[in-house]
Amino acid sequence: MLKKEHNDLLTQTGPETPFGRMFRCYWIPALLAEELPANDCPPVRVKLLSERLIAFRDTDGRYGLMDEFCAHRGISLWFGRNEECGLRCPYHGWKYDVTGQCVDMPNEPEHSAFAKKVKLKSYPLVERGGVLWTYMGPPEQQPPLPEYEFATVPAAQTYTSKRFQECNWLQAMEGGIDSSHVSFLHRGDINTDPLFKGARGNQYNLGDLRPVFEVVESAGGLFIGARRNAEDGNYYWRITQWVMPSYTIIPPRGTHSVHGHFWIPIDDENCWAWSFDYHPTRVLTEAELTAMRAGKGIHAKVDSQYRPIANKDNDYLMDRTAQKAGKTYSGIEGFAMQDASLQESMGPVVDRTKETLVSTDSGIIMARQKLLRAIKAFTEQGVVPPGVSLEHQRVRSAAVVLPPDQPFKDAAREALIAHPGVAPASV
Amino acid sequence: MQSESARMSSAAEARFRIQSPPPTNRAVKVIDLDSATDGDVDRLLAEVGEADLVLMLMSAGADAESAAIIGRACSAKRVMTHTVIVRASAVNDAALAKTLAQVRPWSLMVVVVNDDDYVDDILRSFR
Repeated sequence: MLKKEHNDLLTQTGPETPFGRMFRCYWIPALLAEELPANDCPPVRVKLLSERLIAFRDTDGRYGLMDEFCAHRGISLWFGRNEECGLRCPYHGWKYDVTGQCVDMPNEPEHSAFAKKVKLKSYPLVERGGVLWTYMGPPEQQPPLPEYEFATVPAAQTYTSKRFQECNWLQAMEGGIDSSHVSFLHRGDINTDPLFKGARGNQYNLGDLRPVFEVVESAGGLFIGARRNAEDGNYYWRITQWVMPSYTIIPPRGTHSVHGHFWIPIDDENCWAWSFDYHPTRVLTEAELTAMRAGKGIHAKVDSQYRPIANKDNDYLMDRTAQKAGKTYSGIEGFAMQDASLQESMGPVVDRTKETLVSTDSGIIMARQKLLRAIKAFTEQGVVPPGVSLEHQRVRSAAVVLPPDQPFKDAAREALIAHPGVAPASV
Repeated sequence: MQSESARMSSAAEARFRIQSPPPTNRAVKVIDLDSATDGDVDRLLAEVGEADLVLMLMSAGADAESAAIIGRACSAKRVMTHTVIVRASAVNDAALAKTLAQVRPWSLMVVVVNDDDYVDDILRSFR
């Protein structure tokens, strides 16, 4: 369980909240690059960390992310005209460049200097790995661009999707570090999903349904190891990494791609679940890309607004026959919506004072404690939180077989670092 | 007409959740193996049958022979075992490996932390 004040602290990320200020220390994914596909294309509404913003791509290809509303009369600039290096409000013609600077004010005298005094709040927006990233903190503290491996490999080696999730970011993220649910909720899919099936490691999974867990602190967050029996007294380890505040990398299976997530607050009751697949040493095949686009693996089928096709309005397309037949464990199809349906059922912000946690929840317990410590150190002493450092971001998950006495963090040390051009450790 | 899932997961519906307090009578037995005497271990063994969870604490590199005795008793009684190892920065891999080799066969959950302040937080989470 968690005290109410701690639950509030961890789930509130608006601009004036302690965690909101700390979340703004990081570069976070804001949009897929495909959402702004061309110069002067239509602008896109974006809400992040409880701030309503507008994103656009100007005539010269520069990206802008700024206050959604015109400084004049509060009109949404989503109705704006994206033209000649700026976004023009259709009400009275005020025009803003990608920095939020007002550059034209046609209802003021020609050559008036007043426009120079009007500037909307704006944030940098930078493309990397098919994702548009933003940094919403103080400009003077802006860190270097992110170097998560999925965003730095060549474009043909990576695929990223996003889906709208209708609950607080923390209950979604906690699902990503809750390794013990996999043996239940996802058991129907491990050997059938095209992005998972066929790996030797799957046999360890299915042959030992009671894994033992170890949670170990890392510089950027946590290692969460799931241990199963392998041959000759060795252990098969699946090592997930969580990097603060909300980046998780799932261990790979066989020669399949590596995958993981980012959970980014939209507001305190909704979040974006970002899902990526990449391979450090090879291009993704057409078959893999087709499967990912079709919502296989950790991805989901979504509509034009990135809301999953299976959602709360249609009871997630619950299939009781498939549940009864053992095809799916919960009756919901696909890893992503199996997780999201249950996490949304907890309500917009779950009351963690009512939980009954057990030992296998230690990853969740430790993640909360690390976040709470980081917020305190950041708020009271200005300590830069873990996960901002590029070194913390250049990490990987791993699936390895190790002798029984080996600390996995040390025995798999190199496998847990992202070495460009080196294949992932996978079984 | 909203679906049942949409209606029931709303903030408004959260008001109707049953407000009775969650169970608080879990019996957690904690033993610090760094300082435990034979008498402490014996006392714990006598109480294992009443426990829902046995939590063993130790420093990385410490001798954890009694983990096997406690673990065996817990296994016989089907009681969950959880080990928290505090790893000081000076402790090398070999010392941690020695401790892990002793506790892994008897621990269903192992947590390795760098700071013993986490122990209280973990216990509080289990209520």
